[in-house]
Order: sequence, then structure tokens, then C-alpha cells
Amino acid sequence: MGIVVFFLAAAAAIATAVAVVAQRNPFVSALALLGNLVSLAVLMLLLEAQFVAIAQIIVYAGAVMVMFLFVIAYVGPRGEVGPGERKPWQVWLAILAGTLIAIEVIVVTYGATFEDWAEIDGNYGSPAAIGQELVTNYLLAFEVVSVILFMGAVAGVIFGTGGRPRRLSNDEVLAKETESAELRRREASRAVLDATRESMGEGS
Amino acid sequence: MVDGVIATIIKAFLLINVLMVFFAFMTWVERKLIGRFQARYGPNRVGPYGLMQPIADLGKMLQKENMIPDGARPKLYLFAPWIAMACALGAFGLMPFGNVATLPFTDYTFHLYIADTSVSLLVVAAIGSLGFYGLMIGGWASSSKYALLGGMRAIAQLVSYEVAFTLAVIGVIIQASSLSFVTISNAQDNLWYFIPQILGFLVFFVAAVAESNRPPFDLTEADGEVVAGYHTEYGGMRYAMFAAAEFVNAITLSALGAVLFFGGPSGPYLPGPLWMLIKIGAFLFVLIWIRATLPRVRFDQLMKLGWKVLLPVATLNLLITAAVVAYR
Repeated sequence: MGIVVFFLAAAAAIATAVAVVAQRNPFVSALALLGNLVSLAVLMLLLEAQFVAIAQIIVYAGAVMVMFLFVIAYVGPRGEVGPGERKPWQVWLAILAGTLIAIEVIVVTYGATFEDWAEIDGNYGSPAAIGQELVTNYLLAFEVVSVILFMGAVAGVIFGTGGRPRRLSNDEVLAKETESAELRRREASRAVLDATRESMGEGS
Repeated sequence: MVDGVIATIIKAFLLINVLMVFFAFMTWVERKLIGRFQARYGPNRVGPYGLMQPIADLGKMLQKENMIPDGARPKLYLFAPWIAMACALGAFGLMPFGNVATLPFTDYTFHLYIADTSVSLLVVAAIGSLGFYGLMIGGWASSSKYALLGGMRAIAQLVSYEVAFTLAVIGVIIQASSLSFVTISNAQDNLWYFIPQILGFLVFFVAAVAESNRPPFDLTEADGEVVAGYHTEYGGMRYAMFAAAEFVNAITLSALGAVLFFGGPSGPYLPGPLWMLIKIGAFLFVLIWIRATLPRVRFDQLMKLGWKVLLPVATLNLLITAAVVAYR
């Protein structure tokens, strides 16, 4: 059962990963990325990491990808996107990166066997176990991440509101109000003048 | 799978069918109640008391032409209602209807829930957030301004209220120190959580109404503004699937409210499933009542309520709960 699910999820992960770069439509690409994230979550479930799998779906599928799709649907192109300009150094960089990843995978998996399984108990990967680790062994990292997230939230607010507004002094507020009142008065008298002229013009 | 593969498949099959029949019945109840609230009769022509109305509606929906609008992306357009429907049904699968029961006239015992994982609550949240994609893809693939705007509204609303919703629920999680529905509902044998978690419950309820896109927060399909929102271009069975997904979501959130704040399937005299049905029914009645009573809010009011009222209140509730639990 587990092995069947593994191969299905692995095949889905590869297929959707290819689709992310092969698709010409950004919206469909983003959906393929979503499929990829969900297949990875299934693989994590097979590794008894229930909490991480669900967190992956909630955080990436439920929040991050929603934002991607939101932006693409609102301001992105609706149709297919052309191939664009391909620079030669990009090709070489891609080949280099791909080779490095392939080497890494080979180094990590070389000599690995299915002989010695890691023994885990049923509590492994449960929210309780992960919470325990977070507030004991990894407390510093946990707190640092919370500060980083908070900075992100503050930055979002600042960018969203277009910088911090300057606080005006009482005199400045008064001056502004008088100015706008004056403007409004002029506008009104001009409108009256125009209306009168128009009616005079019609009359003659 | 607590009872083995075959029993689980049977239970899932039963649950989905019972849920769909319950949904059909609730659409009749809703129309009847709305009628009564507005001093009308409501449906009363098809069958006794109009009870056959949902079946007549189904027949009508099935006969309608399935068309794909010009300029739409056919595959995504046809796929979107399935996402919405599958996620709505999937989230309900984790609701507990009791602990252990014995099949009548035999010795076969089984559990009154399909699965009990250590992360049940998060699974429901995750499946619910995947359900958003049905609305978004449907709105985008329809190639219609109103559908796109409706879909975007849905996403903005759901993402905003998910935050307050989750924070309100975390209070319960802290108090029960578990994410499993069975543990949470069993922990409320002495005292239902809506009493110590009254703030959390209020936030939960408002956010749940918004999450299920029900009036007064049905801005995604506000007919005066965006025609019918994300399902403007859908007709026949596909429209029905969107509508069913939305109502099933309301049922799921009612069940969630019953489990988290009202003890789930526990109660005196009556069996667990019946208590669960009564509690879900009570929630749905209040939802219908609200629909008949309150006018729709404006979009800026909706966002203000979500971010400036519910979020701080939920955070306050979380802080209080954490302090109380820590010093207990």
C-alpha cells in the first residue's frame, strides 16, 4: 500500500515539477506548482511526518500559492507567454546547477541500503513532539524566526501604506484647512459665475 | 483507518450519502424557514410540505445544457467545481459522531468516526484552504470580469478570515492540548468549551459565517455588485456543485463548532450521532436566521471587521487562555 502511494506521489511530483517550467501560461504553471507541493506533502505523510505534511499544505498551498495566483489572475497575462530571450550564460548556469544537484543526490544516496531502517515510535512527527523540540532544543531558532516574520509583517504594512505619513503640527493642519476652504470657496464662486454667464449667453 | 480498509470504505460511502441527503433536506429547510421569516409559505407544491422540492431542483439542474463560455479555458473551467466539491466533502470526513458502537444484533464493534489523527483539526483547515482553489480557478477560467472579481473577492475574504478563525480555534487546542477531534470532544465531558472560550467562540462563529460565504458576508456572490461572483458563468449541475460545496462547507463548519465548543457527540440520553445532528442543526438554524435578518456588509466593512476587530479579540483570547493554562 505504502509503496504504491509512494510511486504515485513521486510520479505526480515529477510530472507537476516539469509542468511548472514547461507550461506557457503562468496561471497553469502556478497550479502545477500547487500540485507539486501537495504531492510532496503526500511523500512527507509516508515518512510519518504528519504535522510537517499538513503544515506544508496550509502554509504553501493555503497561503503562498493563493497570493501567487491572486497576483497572476489580477495583473498577469491571460494567454500564453512567448519563449522570451534565452541568454547563453543562462543555459550554462542551468546545466551547472543541474549537475551540482545530481552530484549531491548521488553522493547522498550512494551506498545507502534498505538494510538498516531507522526505528521511530508512533509519536514521531506528531504536533506534540515537534512542539517539544521547538521550545527546548531549537528555542533560539524558533524565536529568531518569529522576529523575522514580524519584520516581514511590519515591512508589508509600510510598503502597503506607501511609507510612514508625517505627523502635521497644529498650525500646519490649520493652514491646510484654511487653504482648502479658500479653494473650495473659489471653486464655488467660479461655478456660479460660469452658470450665470451660460444663462446670460442663452438669454441673448 | 481504525476499522480496516473495507469497513472504512463502507463508512465513507455512508457518510457521503447521508451528508448529501442531509444537504438536500437542509436546502428545503432553509427555503421554508426563509419563507416563514418573510411571512411567505416557502416551497409547498412538490410533495407533502414541498419536501420533494430538492429532488425537483436536482431534476431541473440535470436537464440543463452544459455550455462552456467563449474564451474560457475548458479544462480548468470544467475541473473547478470538482475541486470545490471534493474539498467540501473531504473536510467533513474527519468529524466524530461518537466513540465506539456495536452493530445491532451482532458483536461487531466499530468506531463512529472515519479517522482520528493527531492533526485532525489541521487537516480540516488544510482541505478547507485547498477548497478556495475551486472558487479561484472557476472565477479565472470563466473568462468573465464578474466571475474574476467574485473569485478574487472570495480569496481575499477567505484568507483574511482564516487568520482570525485559526487564532480563535487555537484557544480550544491549548485548553484540550490536542488537535484530535475525538480527544477534544471527550475533554468536554464536564464543561463545554463555549463557556471558558466564549470570546473564542464568538470570533469563531463570525469567522465561520464569513468562511462559508453565507449572508451577511456573501460578498463573493453579491448579486447587485458582481452578478453571481465566481459561478456567474456556470449553469446546470456545475452550478449545483458549487452551491452544494458551499452549503456542505457551512455544514462542516457547524460540525466543527459543535465539536470544538459544544462537546461534539456527547450529551445525555440520546446516542452520539443524534446529538451531533441536533447540534449541527442548531448551528444551521442560526445561520439561516442570520441570513433572513441581517443586510449584507460592504467590502471595506468586511475587511475592517476581520482585521481590526476579530483578529485582536482572538489574540486577546489566545493570550488569556495561554496564561490561564500555564498557571493552572
